[in-house]
Amino acid sequence: MIPSKFDYVKPASVAEAVQALVDGGEDAKIMAGGQSLIPVLRLRLAAPSVLIDLGGIAELRGVREDGDRIAIGAMTPYHDIIRDELVRQHVTLLAQATETVADNQVRHRGTLGGALAHADPAGDLGAPALALDAELVIAGASGTRTVPAAEFFTDYFTTAIGEGEILTEIRFPRYTGWGSHYEKFNRTAQAWSMCAVAAAIRVDGGSIAEARVGLTNMGTTPIRATGVEQALLGQPATAEAIRAAAEHAVDGTAAPSDADAAADYREHLAKVLTGRAVLAAVG
Amino acid sequence: MQLEKTFTIEAPIEKAWKALNTPETIAPCFPGATLTEYEGDSFTGTVKIKLGPISLTYKGKGTYIERDDSAHRVVIEAAGRDSRGNGTANATVTGTMTADGPDKTAVTMVTDMTITGRPAQFGRGVISDVADKIIGQFAGCVAKKLAPEEPAAAATPAAAPTASTGTSAAEAGAGSSNGAAGTTATATATGPALSSTPSSTATPAASPAASSGAAGGPMRSEIDAIDLLDTAGAPVLKRVAPIAGGGLLLLLVILLVRRLRG
Repeated sequence: MIPSKFDYVKPASVAEAVQALVDGGEDAKIMAGGQSLIPVLRLRLAAPSVLIDLGGIAELRGVREDGDRIAIGAMTPYHDIIRDELVRQHVTLLAQATETVADNQVRHRGTLGGALAHADPAGDLGAPALALDAELVIAGASGTRTVPAAEFFTDYFTTAIGEGEILTEIRFPRYTGWGSHYEKFNRTAQAWSMCAVAAAIRVDGGSIAEARVGLTNMGTTPIRATGVEQALLGQPATAEAIRAAAEHAVDGTAAPSDADAAADYREHLAKVLTGRAVLAAVG
Repeated sequence: MQLEKTFTIEAPIEKAWKALNTPETIAPCFPGATLTEYEGDSFTGTVKIKLGPISLTYKGKGTYIERDDSAHRVVIEAAGRDSRGNGTANATVTGTMTADGPDKTAVTMVTDMTITGRPAQFGRGVISDVADKIIGQFAGCVAKKLAPEEPAAAATPAAAPTASTGTSAAEAGAGSSNGAAGTTATATATGPALSSTPSSTATPAASPAASSGAAGGPMRSEIDAIDLLDTAGAPVLKRVAPIAGGGLLLLLVILLVRRLRG
């Protein structure tokens, strides 16, 4: 289907984009890779007055070292993230989760910033960003601000990005030498996660020294499985201990029920997948 | 799809019953709603939904098809159509009230909803969750209006306000975020819920308010387009409130987003 009529602008800098967003008012819409937005437009579920395409802003693309952080431009496509040496080495979990997103074509167009700003609770990038304590840099007319991932996701498709603001960069601490794994469960290839678990574990002398676990699609936002993290600390990196800790995966969650999975099934999945993810991470 | 909600309002049953049977009172509490017309047992209006990239505007009509004053039971039928052709939403809402002590009213709301068109194709159901949020927001607003400590809450269009309640109502209106422009600032608002006067044959126009002359426009929700970011939190959900005239259900349509590529 053909989208409703809209104006199109392709700014060359973040400042121009912010200005276009302010000028465009309430119905202006930012487009990153367009892999979620274009279908919405084609279905006419959205009819923005002006579409602001961030694709022409070179400064938003690429991965760089920023002190002790790895900084990823919001417009960096999945494909580039998966292949980036810095990401693979220091933020392995993100690369692993990104590999599971959709198909190759989507991974060439879709971007990390777009996925996080879209904030679909079934999207695969939120849980790793949350588990790894990413920081999100948001630019607006009055400058930039940094929001921790823990405060970024506020509800279904809703984030801390305000009107007139643009997500510009995502910064990750380094997790060099950690084991990690993203365990995703869906019934068909390239589908949304019914449930998925992101785990990064640091093992020291055979026992678990640090643990970070994030859940996908177990609530209205990505969720940090703190119960599991605490239960893992100091435990031997054995299957038995890990499975026992994984029983805490649903502590404090309120899983959704939908056509794919009822809440109790999702809770079951969360526990099993947490066990698998952590086991693979320490593997 | 059937949704059932039970909640309590801090008001005597007769007061709650009256308020909830008055679209002018409850419509402004409905997130994103604009009541354009109200006549007899029918009302028309629009509901604007915003969720992430999606924005839908449902235009619809609601009718009180059954109203049992002694049993405190009301049945409302609502039907709406998206203004850009994204299908329809139909709902039958059955609300029942029972007194829960002298100052409290328990409300049960059963909603039977059918959604057609694109929104219906999205299998991942966010619906009931979103319904919770919307009803929670609506409930919080209504509960506030009916709370005994706020004098403004007592006024309904049928009981035209005196000058003093009119003043407090105007203050209450000005305090809320999105009253219709201009009218809330005057000291002559017709009631707490009325930012402006609906084009209606009902009584509000008979109030001393001069605002009816100035504002014939539609009544807008005090809560602007539904924005889940502002969703009332858990405490409000616990004592969720009542019957949303027609629009309620339409809102739920929100689920859509899902399925669309991440």
